[in-house]
Amino acid sequence: MALEKNLEQFDTDAILEVRNLKKSFPLKKTLTGKVTQELVAVDDVSFTLKRGETLGIVGESGCGKTTLGRTILKLHKSNGGQIIFDGKDITNLKSKDMREIRKKMQIIFQDPYSSLPPRSTVGGILSEPVEVHNIVPKSEIKSYVLDLMEKCGLRDYYYERYPHEFSGGQRQRICIARALSVNPELVICDEPVSALDVSIQAQIINLLKKLQQEMNLTYVFISHDLSVVKFISDKIGVMYLGSMVEFGTKEDIFSNPLHPYTQALFSAIPQPDPDVKMNRIILKGDIPSPANPPKGCRFHTRCPKAMDICKEEIPEYKDYGNGHCAACHLLG
Amino acid sequence: MSENINNEALDEALQNEVPHDKTVRLMSPTRMVVRRFFRSKLSVVGLVMVIGLFIFSFLGPVFYTQWGEIELDESGKTEYSVSSTTYEVNGQEYTVRQTTEKYLKDNFLAPPSAEHILGTDNEGYDVFVRLMYGGRISLIVSFIAVFLITILGVILGGIAGYFGGAIDNAIMRLCDVLICLPGIPILLIISTILDASGIDAKYRIYLLMIYLTFISWPGTARLVRGQILSLREQEYMVAAEAMGFSTSRKIFKHLVPNVMPQLIVQMSLSLGSMILYEATLSYLNLGVKAPYAAWGTMINIISTNQDVLQNHLNVWVPAGICIVIAVLGFNFIGDGLRDALDPKARR
Amino acid sequence: MSNNYLSGKEIRAIAKENKKVMKRLEAQKYRKCDESEYITEMKESSNILEIDELHTYFFTEQGVVKAVNGVSFDVPQNKTVGVVGESGCGKSVTSMSVMRLLQGPTGQIYSGEIRFKSKDKDGTEKVFDIAKMPMADIHKIRGNQIAMIFQEPMTSLNPVFTIGQQLDEVTFIHNPEASKEDAKAKSIEMLNLVGIAMPERVYNAFPHELSGGMRQRVMISMALASNPRLIIADEPTTALDVTIQAQILDLLRDLKTKIDGSIMLITHDLGIIAEMADYVIVMYAGRVIEKGTVDEIFHNPLHPYTIGLQKSKPTLNSDSETLFNIPGNVPNPINMPAYCYFKERCSKCTKKCSGEYPEMIQVSPTHFVACHLYDEE
Repeated sequence: MALEKNLEQFDTDAILEVRNLKKSFPLKKTLTGKVTQELVAVDDVSFTLKRGETLGIVGESGCGKTTLGRTILKLHKSNGGQIIFDGKDITNLKSKDMREIRKKMQIIFQDPYSSLPPRSTVGGILSEPVEVHNIVPKSEIKSYVLDLMEKCGLRDYYYERYPHEFSGGQRQRICIARALSVNPELVICDEPVSALDVSIQAQIINLLKKLQQEMNLTYVFISHDLSVVKFISDKIGVMYLGSMVEFGTKEDIFSNPLHPYTQALFSAIPQPDPDVKMNRIILKGDIPSPANPPKGCRFHTRCPKAMDICKEEIPEYKDYGNGHCAACHLLG
Repeated sequence: MSENINNEALDEALQNEVPHDKTVRLMSPTRMVVRRFFRSKLSVVGLVMVIGLFIFSFLGPVFYTQWGEIELDESGKTEYSVSSTTYEVNGQEYTVRQTTEKYLKDNFLAPPSAEHILGTDNEGYDVFVRLMYGGRISLIVSFIAVFLITILGVILGGIAGYFGGAIDNAIMRLCDVLICLPGIPILLIISTILDASGIDAKYRIYLLMIYLTFISWPGTARLVRGQILSLREQEYMVAAEAMGFSTSRKIFKHLVPNVMPQLIVQMSLSLGSMILYEATLSYLNLGVKAPYAAWGTMINIISTNQDVLQNHLNVWVPAGICIVIAVLGFNFIGDGLRDALDPKARR
Repeated sequence: MSNNYLSGKEIRAIAKENKKVMKRLEAQKYRKCDESEYITEMKESSNILEIDELHTYFFTEQGVVKAVNGVSFDVPQNKTVGVVGESGCGKSVTSMSVMRLLQGPTGQIYSGEIRFKSKDKDGTEKVFDIAKMPMADIHKIRGNQIAMIFQEPMTSLNPVFTIGQQLDEVTFIHNPEASKEDAKAKSIEMLNLVGIAMPERVYNAFPHELSGGMRQRVMISMALASNPRLIIADEPTTALDVTIQAQILDLLRDLKTKIDGSIMLITHDLGIIAEMADYVIVMYAGRVIEKGTVDEIFHNPLHPYTIGLQKSKPTLNSDSETLFNIPGNVPNPINMPAYCYFKERCSKCTKKCSGEYPEMIQVSPTHFVACHLYDEE
């Protein structure tokens, strides 16, 4: 009943809504299977994403951004909260029913080397999902795949080749083609350009943008690199140790970063201009282990503006106008 | 606007670009494996040994039809035995030598000759011919056993590795138990039961091989499980999950083909050990029973006949050499394949 | 489509050819010889390292990979030289050649000179040609005169020894007579130098107890422990998070003023180069295509590749909607064409580009570029 009520509130424009999502991994178990210590990878994350938009998620290693992406796809089972995709609550869907939804949501991985099966040809990799999901009649599969390859900037003679014959950029194109082969609506891009060279990065980002327009795709773009995220996102979420510390439109985040962590993240990026000497905010210390996060505000151990209250209380995640949310005591 | 220009520029460049990767020629994956295999001299030696044994055992009896496997040489032979007795008569010693001439129906323990290339054994069977038939038994039996072990190992190891949890635990504990079982004592018991039940000597070896399969599959299952555990974490498996592929497709179309290289290596290595096992069983009189031939049975003769051990090397040494060649050959091939198929071993 | 695989005959021909060359070069590597054979002179006395027409090849089964194909550049004393390029451009292989860490017998220095000005303990300076040194003599410079910081702080420390044991070892190698207490004092001093807050605790810790940033600090302190004249930092921050990277870069910049030595910084990140380097070497497909001071490279880039690389790097300040991109891929390193390697991806290419590989053209006293666009007519 609560579910129905929730669905009524669902924004019809939105393709994906995540409410208070939580995911933890057990670290230690007693013999009876009771979890005594756990790693909270995603803690109480909420956001809404409209059709055709791109959400950029930024954060450092261990902040839970990859886990968030995989939990949305239900590759991990969530421990709380709701995932509403296309007006349907998929949080507790059985894996059999999930299979139908899978073709509407796809994922692109960071490492183009381990994400392609080594013993299939490019043609085989791309036609398998088409065949399984009956996207086009059997006789048209090959022409459909060749068409798709062209769209993604792959030459037709690649069809017979194996992944190991390609460079990282070409492999990433194959990964993109595979994800798009089932005509998805939502694509989660998990650091798709981090492993690539700068000149190739630009190609892939432009390709993703082109495909988004052509196929009306919605992206969740996960990256540790703010400058990359800036180019592709409409909205940006900044994560730190499992929780969303700031969320807003690209313009808001870039012109007016509220959270000290976002500010530090901006200033940490080296600029390719020897004349720009930024007043760099250098954060002290290391990222705490997510298995043992600090009490209070999780950022207080490294925050240059930490106050006494930060050590005790977790700041509230509040909207500061125009959907620009942040969680920090400084903002009052 | 700038975007359009950019994409057009890209498209145009892609159209006009002479694809450099088309002019560069690589080594095909198969060719790479073949080349690495043949680069090692030992694996070539192994291959020659094994192929030689196959030709010898399977084609040999077709062309060399002078004697059959259980055909006795009944051309007969005369055995002379000399005995002497010494008498003492009036302080004088007299020795009486007596020569007995005995005519025997079977020509046993004949030395190597044109008629019997490696002579005959203590029953009068042709050693050379029995060596060929023994090879047939050894090779067939070990292939069947390895085949069964692999099928059982892949299925159970695959299930354990893929599903994990309680199923994994159950299968792996079963493996532990089976590995703890003392193989030879149980074989002795089973063999005695088989003797008592009067099963045809020709077939009992196959029953024993089934038993061997039963106690040997845990090795393969562990290998497959370990491989699948690591492969399961690969991103292409996550991608397959995200694609919504069915479980059986994921296991048999994505996981098992990637375990094949290790499996092939494991299979060729266990072929060697199966031949040894078969020989051991036959030597202990548990496997193939007379009059049928097996390499182990042929060596078994020396356990009851001291004379053969010392004076008739032609009867049992060739069988021993065959066993050594087979085991070495399969091991060389296995090692060669492991180096050839393992991409990390690339030098 | 014709198949693009090599035939068995071709493979055998390649293997035969490779074997011959590899055997000759291996023999040279392990020969015994007198010091005089590899002592040379520096061209410019203010340089600490001069790389001259270095060719480093990998003799693979599929053909010869010319990973470094005629690279020349200098590292002046007390300066930071940044080597920038994409993966496979030969920047790491260059540093491996300087350290003589190439994996034999496939990887070999084929020709060229690497002149290094070494300083003995008693202060006499000698110039060695590292490329000609036999492996038995490498210890004279490797590890004490030239130190290296690797990309992977996770795997570059031995997991079974404590940080202290590994640091002390460096001191003992450098100074075998040192007592245990001296070594420890020196190690703690080094840990202090790299900004580790609790050196005593880190001294007794095992590598797995430290975070990536801490490990990289330890690696840097190990490199510094022997007072090297040249530090080669091969992508020192690539494996680290942005905020940690900022810390390490800050530390390196700080150290530069404290130590008396040069740094050769290898990275793919133009941002890091702009912040750290005095001189920049841009490499592409095994060749240097442009070199100059940091101002020249960033304010007046000449080679179309350098220009494209700078444009395609997304920055926080620019506001354009899409990124500029260089089309195509880095060419396969086997059977490189005779013309300019960048031709197929270049938007400014002219007829001349199908001809010979362009020569290095001097544009200013410090600025060089290898491109036909700047040929003097």
